[in-house]
Amino acid sequence: MIIIKPKTEFVVTVEAELTPDLAEKDVGEIKKFKVYYGKDVVELGELFEITKEGDDKKLVLDGDFSRVKWVGCRMSDGEIVVKGSVGANCGAYMAGGKIVIEGDADDWLGAEMKDGEIVVKGDAANLVGCAYYGDATGMSGGKITIEGNAGNYIGEKMAGGEIEIKGNAGDFIGTEMKGGTIVIHGNCGFVGGDMKAGEIKIGGEFELMPTFVKQEDAWVGDVNVKGEGVVRRL
Amino acid sequence: MHHALHIKNGIVIDPKNGVKAEKMDIFVKDGKIVEESEVKGEDVKVIDASNKLVVAGGVDMHAHIAGSKINTGRTMRPEEMRVVRNIANKFRAAVGRVLLTSPAIGYEYAKMGYTSSFEAAQPPIGAMHTHEELDAIPMIDKAALPVFGNWHFVFKYVEAKDIEKLKTFIAWALERTKGFGVKVVNPGGVEAWMYGGNVTSLDDQVPGFNVTPREIITSLIKAVEELKLNHSVHLHCNRLGVPGNYETTIETIKLAGGFSNDARQVLHVTHVQFNAYAGDSWRTVSSGAEEIAKTMNSMDNVTIDMGQPIFGHATAMTGDAPFQFTLHKLTGARWSNKDSEVEGGAGIVPLVYLPKNPVHALQWAIGLELGLLIDSDKVVLTTDYPNGGPFTEYPYVMAMLMSKKMREGELEKVSPFVQKATNLPAIDTEKTLEEIIHMTRSLPARILGLPQKGHLGVGADADIAIYDLNPLEIDTSNDFEKVYKAFKTAEYTIKSGRILAKNGELVDECWGKTYWVDATGRVDMEAIKPDLEDYFKYYSVELQNYGVEEEWLKKPERIVI
Repeated sequence: MIIIKPKTEFVVTVEAELTPDLAEKDVGEIKKFKVYYGKDVVELGELFEITKEGDDKKLVLDGDFSRVKWVGCRMSDGEIVVKGSVGANCGAYMAGGKIVIEGDADDWLGAEMKDGEIVVKGDAANLVGCAYYGDATGMSGGKITIEGNAGNYIGEKMAGGEIEIKGNAGDFIGTEMKGGTIVIHGNCGFVGGDMKAGEIKIGGEFELMPTFVKQEDAWVGDVNVKGEGVVRRL
Repeated sequence: MHHALHIKNGIVIDPKNGVKAEKMDIFVKDGKIVEESEVKGEDVKVIDASNKLVVAGGVDMHAHIAGSKINTGRTMRPEEMRVVRNIANKFRAAVGRVLLTSPAIGYEYAKMGYTSSFEAAQPPIGAMHTHEELDAIPMIDKAALPVFGNWHFVFKYVEAKDIEKLKTFIAWALERTKGFGVKVVNPGGVEAWMYGGNVTSLDDQVPGFNVTPREIITSLIKAVEELKLNHSVHLHCNRLGVPGNYETTIETIKLAGGFSNDARQVLHVTHVQFNAYAGDSWRTVSSGAEEIAKTMNSMDNVTIDMGQPIFGHATAMTGDAPFQFTLHKLTGARWSNKDSEVEGGAGIVPLVYLPKNPVHALQWAIGLELGLLIDSDKVVLTTDYPNGGPFTEYPYVMAMLMSKKMREGELEKVSPFVQKATNLPAIDTEKTLEEIIHMTRSLPARILGLPQKGHLGVGADADIAIYDLNPLEIDTSNDFEKVYKAFKTAEYTIKSGRILAKNGELVDECWGKTYWVDATGRVDMEAIKPDLEDYFKYYSVELQNYGVEEEWLKKPERIVI
C-alpha cells in the first residue's frame, strides 16, 4: 500500500495518472514518476510525500486531491482510496479495480470506463460516465455509485454498466444512451434525449422529452431516433 | 549554412529528363539545380547517396490542407486532435490523427519527401482564411484553387455565351483570391442545393439560370484555354458518390474532345474513384473503373487523379454540399454545411473506411483499378486528403501499384464483395518504380503547369528526396514491405536546397512559396466592372473589401501570363 500526501496547496492543476500499479514499485521509483504541474514536467516526489506500508496493490491518496486530474486513468486492477476530494477525469478509460472517493469528484468521472467500480461518498460534478467530445461511446461497463448529488450530462452515449446516484442530478441524463442502466433516487432534469437503448430509473421528479411513448409502466423512446430506450419510475 | 550541395553517387530516377535509374551526381546552388561547374569554389556540403534512390520532391496536386473546410473539420472532430506528433521545442507543436494542424501538415509532408501541395478547393470569399492557413504550413510550396463551378457570375456569363467576359472574370477572381487555377465542383449542383436539390445529369438546368453543367464545363475549359493558364480546369464531376455515376464521368471526360493544348491536358478530373460506380443502388453497385480507363486511354488531353481510400479514419470534406448531406444521411455521422454566398457551398462529414464493409472495400478496389488500368502518363496518385484518408499513406498506394503479391495479400483482408464487383483480383499490371515516380512528381508538375517542379534537370527547384532504396537491386514485386518503408520516411528531404528532414527527423524549418496566377494583363478589366459593382449588392462584403492583397501573404510568388 502506498500513501501519497500533498506537500502544499497546488497553485495550478496537477495531471497525474496515478494507478495502483505504482504500489508494485519501490518508494524511490515512485518518487521519480513523472507528472505535469501546470506546463512543467516534475517528479511525483517534488509535490507529494510518499510512504509505503505492505505490498498490497493499493493507493491511499491522503488529503485534498481536488486539483489532481486523471487519478486512476486506465487502471485495470487494485484499489485507490481518496481520503478527500478528487479532480477531473478520475477513473477515465478504467478497465478494472476499484476507486473509493470519500469526498467529492470533479467532471468526467469514469469517462469511457470499461469495467471496475467507482464509489463517491460525496457529490460528483458533470459528465459522469460520458464519452469524450467527438467519441462515439461513453461508459461501456462497470459500476459508478454516487452517494450524494451529481451535475449535468450523466451517461451520455453510455453503452453498458451502471450509474447509481443516491441524491439528485441535473439535466441531460442518458443523452444518446445505447445500453446500460442509470438509477437516480432523487430528482433530475431532462432525461433521455436521442436515447437508443438502455434503461433509466428515477425515484423523484424529472422532465421527460416529449418524444417518448407512454407504455404500461414505462416510457419508451426516443422516437426521434427510432430508439427503444426505457425510462421508468423506481 | 551551405549555399551549395553535392549529392554524390545516388541512383537517379527523373522521368521528365529521361533518366531511368542511373548513377549520377546532382549539384545544388542557391535553391536551384545547377551544373557541376557552378559550384566550383563554393562551400559545398557533400551528401553521400550511394545505392540510394534520388528523385524530385513529391508534388501533391490535390489535397485539402487549408481553409474553412478543414478548419471546420478540426472544430467538429476534437477526437482527431488527441494524437500528439510534436511537442513545441525547436519546431512547432503538431497534433492530429488524420486531420492535422497546419504545422503538422508541413512536417508530415517533409518527413515523406514531399515538397509541394495544392489546396484543391478554396471558397473565393474565404480566400483570406485559406491564405492565412497556407501561411501557417511550413516546409512546402503551396497554392490554392478557387472554386468557380457554382458562382453566379460564371452562370451569368455562360448563360450569355460571353466568353470574353468569363475570361475577364476568371482573371479578376484569380487576382482577388490569389488563386492558382480554376476548380469546378459539381457544376450547377451546389446551386441546386441552395434549393435543397442537386443535378442528376450534364443536361439538367441549373435553378434560376438558363445553363446546364455541360455548358458550364465547356465554357470554363474554353475560357481557361484562351487565357492559357498554367493549369487546366480542375473538375470534381457531377453525381459524385452515386451508384451509376461512371457514365456521367465518361460523358464529362469526353467534353474535352474539342479542345487541345500542346503543353498539357485541357481537363483534369479529380478523385475519380468517387465517380466510378456502376449499378443503380448501393445493393447493385459495382466498379465502373474499366470503362473509365478505356475512355481515358483513348483520350490524350485529359488527366485524372485517383482519390484512393485508405482503410481507417478519414473526413469527407468537399465543396459538393448536396453530396455531403447524402453521405450524412447514409452513415448517420455528424454533418456540417458551409455556405459561401453566391459562390457555392461545402459540407463536412466524419468517415471511417472499414475493410470488411463491402462498399468501402469496393471504393478501395476502384481506386487501385484506376491507378493500374490507366496509362501512367494520365493518372496521379492522391488520396484526396482527408476525404480518402491521410496523405501519409501514399507509400502504401505506391507499393500496392507496384506489387500484385501485395495486392493479393490485402485482398484477403477485405470484404469478398470486391471479388465479384470489381476486376482488381484479375489485374496483373505492376507499375514500375519509374512510373510511380512519374505519377507522384513529374506528372502532377506537368498537369499543374509548373516547369520548375517535379524533376531534377538543371534550372529546376532544388526540391529533392533521397530514399533508402536501390532501384538497381530492388524487386518491387516481392519486396513491397521494403518499398513501403523506404517511401514512408525519406532519408533526406531537401527543399529549395535546404535539408529539412533526415531519416524522419526534422532538422530545419522553412516557409515555402504561395504561387498565384496573374492573368489580368490578358483581358480588359474594365469590361466586367459594371457587372461587379451591380452584383456585389448580393454579397455580405463590399467590392473594395473583397479579396486578398499580395502583401498580406508571407511569400507570394506571382506567375504572370
